[in-house]
Amino acid sequence: MLSRIAESLFWLARYIERAEGTARILDVNYHMLLEQSQQSYRLRWEPLIIMAGEEDRFRKLYSEVNAENVFEFLAFREDNPSSIVQCISKARENARTIRDRISREMWEDINGLFYTVSRFVPAEEIAAGPHRFCDKIKFGGHRFHGVTDATLPHDEGWEFLRVGWALERAEMTARLVDVQYHNLLDGPPAADALDNHQWMAVLRSVGAYEAYHRQYHPPIEPQKVAEMLMLHPQHPHSIRFGATEVQAGLRAVSGTGPGSYANEAERLTGKVVERLRYDRIGDIFDQGLHGYLNDLLNMFGSIGDDIARTYFYYAVVA
Amino acid sequence: MVNRGLFEGYDTGSFYDEMFSAPGQPRPQYTKLFQKLATMAPGQFEERRKLADLSFLIQGITFTVYSDGRGTERLFPFDLIPRILPHSEWERIDKGLSQRVMALNLFLQDVYGQQCIFRDRKIPRSLVYSCPHFRREVIGVEVPRGIHTHICGIDLVRDSKTGEFCVLEDNVRTPSGVSYVLENRLVMTRTFPDAFQACEVLPVNHYPAELSRILRSLSPRGEAEAQIVLLTPGIYNSAYFEHSFLAQQMGIELVEGRDLIVDGGIVYMKTIRGLKRVDVIYRRVDDEFLDPLTFRADSILGVPGLMGAYRAGSVALANAVGNGVADDKAIYAFVPEFIRYYLGEEPVLRSVETHICAKPDDLAYVLGHLPELVVKAVGESGGYGMLIGPASDSKRIEQFRERIRANPRNYIAQPVIPLSRVPSYDSPDGCVAGRHVDLRPYCLYDGEKVTIVPGGLTRVALQRGSMVVNSSQGGGSKDTWVLRGED
Repeated sequence: MLSRIAESLFWLARYIERAEGTARILDVNYHMLLEQSQQSYRLRWEPLIIMAGEEDRFRKLYSEVNAENVFEFLAFREDNPSSIVQCISKARENARTIRDRISREMWEDINGLFYTVSRFVPAEEIAAGPHRFCDKIKFGGHRFHGVTDATLPHDEGWEFLRVGWALERAEMTARLVDVQYHNLLDGPPAADALDNHQWMAVLRSVGAYEAYHRQYHPPIEPQKVAEMLMLHPQHPHSIRFGATEVQAGLRAVSGTGPGSYANEAERLTGKVVERLRYDRIGDIFDQGLHGYLNDLLNMFGSIGDDIARTYFYYAVVA
Repeated sequence: MVNRGLFEGYDTGSFYDEMFSAPGQPRPQYTKLFQKLATMAPGQFEERRKLADLSFLIQGITFTVYSDGRGTERLFPFDLIPRILPHSEWERIDKGLSQRVMALNLFLQDVYGQQCIFRDRKIPRSLVYSCPHFRREVIGVEVPRGIHTHICGIDLVRDSKTGEFCVLEDNVRTPSGVSYVLENRLVMTRTFPDAFQACEVLPVNHYPAELSRILRSLSPRGEAEAQIVLLTPGIYNSAYFEHSFLAQQMGIELVEGRDLIVDGGIVYMKTIRGLKRVDVIYRRVDDEFLDPLTFRADSILGVPGLMGAYRAGSVALANAVGNGVADDKAIYAFVPEFIRYYLGEEPVLRSVETHICAKPDDLAYVLGHLPELVVKAVGESGGYGMLIGPASDSKRIEQFRERIRANPRNYIAQPVIPLSRVPSYDSPDGCVAGRHVDLRPYCLYDGEKVTIVPGGLTRVALQRGSMVVNSSQGGGSKDTWVLRGED
């Protein structure tokens, strides 16, 4: 497989996942706030901008942090490279450069999603609230996963998609947990019922609400939510699950068995997986959640760089 | 009273109409389709048309135009009413084109080899050497199996005055459009399955397999382990859809210049498992961009050192380098002579009378008759650099007069050919009207015989009265049907 194609597959998956993740968070946050006082408004929107890592850009464009501005910024702005519309457009661009290598169904699906998204009129959606738009993106992402799974041979190209997806999702969840904890634990004290409501929203944003209730007894406790989102072995949005998927994908490409590694990306991924497997949530909280998550995010960043060095931009000695 | 439905009030005008021999009188090959379409309400037709458009859009079958400097993707307009050719007429075209392709290939072999044709004084050496696309860098280079013209797209038009097909232009560099032939057919079979059942239409979908077979046969390392790639300029090229489509259909790697590297005279591609040798390149990059070490130094689309590998025979290119000398519009006038000289045959298909401005007598005639002639720049394609005398004002004619005087070698002139018309759907008006068409069949040459998928791309000038069918100038396309067996 050409290096350029592997790279495009990797980024195609990442962009789709990023668009989907952003849509989930926007949607949940919006509905969570519908039942809240104006006071906490600003506080609850700011974390989304921080999560996207786009504070500076946002401040240059808007004077106020409110639902409409944040929605417009994260969903539609062409000058925000991580807005949903930009992610879908870049995902399609990547798909277009490798359309001979993906299935016809995959291409038609992503191309259709691109045209669907382009037809949304930002002003109308902002007035109507984010649900309709976000729903399209979420299910667009799910459908693309499904189409890919069902129509693309599960060869090394598929593994690069899998690695891209899992890495992006693990990063998104890590940021989500980090930002929400910071926000919910350090914010003004709220009534228990309200707090409960907010944690429900966090779980819903990654589709983990029902799974949480099967695993734990009420009431919803912040530490258990964190445990679920970080350490759960099977939930597809937990960080551990994502890291394990990255590991499986990388090993499938290099043909390395368990207990060993073929390159720096695999070594780091192995470290992350083992930490998430053996660390306990209580210890993590004692040690400091923010520092722990920050560590993970740095390692995910390095894993991405090492994948690129190993497979995409290796030095050619001619 | 015959129900004419969609064709009510259709005017065949003063041109040859491909569908009707007289008002309301369909030609034999169109009888069945006419019956189907005539019973269709305009609303039903419009509905199917929208379906077809949507299908093209979702599949991303677009081409890129650069009018706004950003490169916008546009749909290549598709007209649902097919152009139908009877079998006997197609046989004649097939014969004429095969002959022409063989002669062009022999000419290229000769010009870059022995140059017998100059010694025998069939064409002036100076005319050939002054072609903008003549490449002295490949003189003496022996190409695999002697094939220069693997893929040719030869433009035919039907002259309304005689009702006969004639050759308008040869495209033997990197002709595009064949993907539309295949996709148009696919969309048509989905949109009008009933019409296909009624008319027996010859299939076209063996094109990729035949092209793949020819490419494989060129491999310097033998066919078994041949690594074949399609070299594209990238997604911003207007024909990118076609490049990816053909690569996918043939199951070969689609590469850009940056994916390839030349080391020790061997071409490799960069894969996740290291370098992998490449044997055959179906290149859709023009000669001058292929190798910055040999041609344009500023090209980032090519591969440094590629020409060295090509000369050494370690990699095959299709089409061969230097083919532009054969489709130069002044050389065009000599192709009938090539057919006689190289094959000892009379040309089956007529050429259009051509005045070569490089010749003093012709130049004088052309300058004296500009308002009635079509003037073309010899090295251009895609409908650029053209003057259509009867459709131009005196200012533009004078502009061209200056240009021709300044550089006569760069121009030829031909009489205006009144192109035949096919009924086409005019969507703003919701009615069917005659529109001018040409025909580009795609010819594949394997060194022994020429294979042409029946039909080809019928391009249609969708603007009322226009005779310019190029997609860059508002043209569209139609499916082309060649009927099976006796008409």
